[in-house]
Amino acid sequence: MTPLPFKTSELYTLGVELELQVLNSRDYNLTGGAVDLLSLLEKTPHPGDIKPEITEAMIEISTGIQRGYTGLRSELTDIREAMVREAERLNLSIAGGGAHPFQKWQDQRIFAAPRFKHIHDLYGYLAKQFTVFGQHVHIGCDSGHAAVRLIHLFSRYIPHFIALSASSPFFQGVETAFASSRLNSVSAFPLAGHMPFLADWDAFTEYFEHMRRLQVVESMKDFYWDIRPKPEYGTIEVRVCDTPLSLERAAALAEYARALARYLSEDKPLEPSADVYLVYGYNRFLACRFGLDAEVIDPYERRKRLLSEEIGYTLGLVSRYASDEAGAAALLRLRDVASLRRGDSVLLRERLAQSKSLSDVVRWAADLWMRG
Amino acid sequence: MDLSFLPRFPPPLGDVSVIALILLAGLGTGELFRRVLLLPRISGYVLAGVLLGPGTFGLLDRTMLEGAQLLVDIALGLILFELGSRLDWQWFRRNRWLLASSVTEIALSFALVWLVLALLRIPWLQAAIAAAIGAATGASVLLVVIHDQRADGLLTDRAVNLTALNNVFSVVAVTMLLAFLHLEYRPGVTILLLQPLYLLLGSTLLGYLASVALVLLARWLGKHEDLQFIALVAMVLLTVGFAKALQLSMLISLLALGVMARNRDRDRDLLPVEFGATAQVLFVVLFVITGAAVTLGELAAGAGVAVAYVLARLAGKLLGVVPFAGRSGLSARKAVLLGLTLMPMSATAVAMVEATAHYYPQFGERLAAVVLGAVLILELTAPLATQLALRAAGETHPEARWR
Repeated sequence: MTPLPFKTSELYTLGVELELQVLNSRDYNLTGGAVDLLSLLEKTPHPGDIKPEITEAMIEISTGIQRGYTGLRSELTDIREAMVREAERLNLSIAGGGAHPFQKWQDQRIFAAPRFKHIHDLYGYLAKQFTVFGQHVHIGCDSGHAAVRLIHLFSRYIPHFIALSASSPFFQGVETAFASSRLNSVSAFPLAGHMPFLADWDAFTEYFEHMRRLQVVESMKDFYWDIRPKPEYGTIEVRVCDTPLSLERAAALAEYARALARYLSEDKPLEPSADVYLVYGYNRFLACRFGLDAEVIDPYERRKRLLSEEIGYTLGLVSRYASDEAGAAALLRLRDVASLRRGDSVLLRERLAQSKSLSDVVRWAADLWMRG
Repeated sequence: MDLSFLPRFPPPLGDVSVIALILLAGLGTGELFRRVLLLPRISGYVLAGVLLGPGTFGLLDRTMLEGAQLLVDIALGLILFELGSRLDWQWFRRNRWLLASSVTEIALSFALVWLVLALLRIPWLQAAIAAAIGAATGASVLLVVIHDQRADGLLTDRAVNLTALNNVFSVVAVTMLLAFLHLEYRPGVTILLLQPLYLLLGSTLLGYLASVALVLLARWLGKHEDLQFIALVAMVLLTVGFAKALQLSMLISLLALGVMARNRDRDRDLLPVEFGATAQVLFVVLFVITGAAVTLGELAAGAGVAVAYVLARLAGKLLGVVPFAGRSGLSARKAVLLGLTLMPMSATAVAMVEATAHYYPQFGERLAAVVLGAVLILELTAPLATQLALRAAGETHPEARWR
């Protein structure tokens, strides 16, 4: 067996990837502008990385390795400034949000790159339906073993991140009744879900090799898990968040993930438990469907709890691990969001009730992203 | 025996049957073009018009064409409204190089055509008017191809925006040049300035008033696509009617209606126009009638001039957009494709020739000989060029090729 090397990272370092919507400035539908936008951005100096995604109306930004909230937020802001400047030359708008409210998936064009073409060939229409927009948070781990353990512990908190980021109540022009409809598009893929309950990095390596020999996967990229280890970065990657409507919220979510990871690793309040995965799928659904109003099942206490209260409580526990003062303030704001139960999906619904136009909702969201 | 209940022979064909004839001929030729020649249907519609028209086989005569004018007005009205509603001033403000490419594209296509026609010994005023007409891109061809291919993207948006501006230039320039012509017949300098001013301001005001009415009407109706379409057709016709009655520019009024309806509509009461099957009927009529204005004889007589005209115009469009491509955020390859999408010449060019002929019959006839040959060449080639350019830019809908 060839061992899968896990690059050692500085503990609790951070990195964020955000998939963003590329919109026309006419009716704020998605438009295939990523190609032209990327070619302009290649010629402009900017921090981080800006890359294509599966369809031409998507664009992904990612930060470098950051130690804390302030650095992360300022890098994200710099990337945004560069992107907005070039987008405006092309008359494009950019917005967050887990799904575009009224795009039709069949109108999307696959970005011309071998990897995306392969995905389209393999998955057919699922590839175009995958035009949804998520935030991924990387957290640095010092060993593969620590990463596997952290993933099991973190899995219990997945509903927090779903509910706090949920921003896709509308999909294909329809009110879905979900706070986050995006994860339903992810669930369609055969390798979606969670990592199996494996004891340590050796067990994980064995599992991965086995899956590779069986030709189910070729690389780690083929697992569409909610949280997966990223051995080449030395991180765990949390992938359940919708891209929030504002950059500030995206940075705050990353700060929460980082503080929670540190709390779970250093205070050791919990031990990994297979029970987490018994309730995992159902809790995940509840958080998607009801957002901050959900009542989820606590697998350790074995009882139902109001998600908004649980989030407030946990944020209180982890706040001393905030990376800096601004980070602590961001966690406090997140606590308000939870206690008021006013996540992005609620704001989007309110906006629609006011304007009665999904196009106007997107215009508002784009404004929030580009200038918020 | 009293047979007076029987019709005369041959029975007089009413307007209704003429429209049926137009539709069937267009439909048949259009499908033949697509299936056999693999060319866009639009070219087929136009050729049907050329063949049926008074200049060729003469199945359609002048009075019959006038009977179909109502449908042509609605079709052209919808197209110009849409063109206006897609014009985005903000973009030109944010991206000055885009404005620069618009100005050079207009200036060069105008200047090069004028120069070439002058070199071919066409009198300067005639050459200038022909060149001014040619500065405009045929909005009907461009927008129908865009809808047909469900094209969407940056090249599409640029083509539409540049087209809106070059159409406005064309109307204003032709009007001013016609004032010169007027001067030759009847001296007086005021008309040179006052008429274009009246035309611009009056048409804009008319469009403005119509846009206020349209937005109010849409708000009252609510978000019902079919009801709003009725309201739109009504406002378009009202605008056309008033523009004709007040001797204003139909083109500028409708563009203004589109631009201002969109900008005034802060609450998004106005739904985007979907050209459904009904509008397709109107477009077939529009293209057939456009073709009917052209005669093969004209082309045969002035083929050389027409070809020179087309080439000079294309050179102007390309030289206008390519140099500023990089600075305005477009690759050189896409800039060439953009130049190709600006090639079409269509209904509005024909309308301008006919309007000139109406006021100055002799002059109009000579102008027609120069311009309409070029229109014919471009009706047969430019739809394909536009379609291929949009496809090469990757902006057509993935399923559009099966249409």
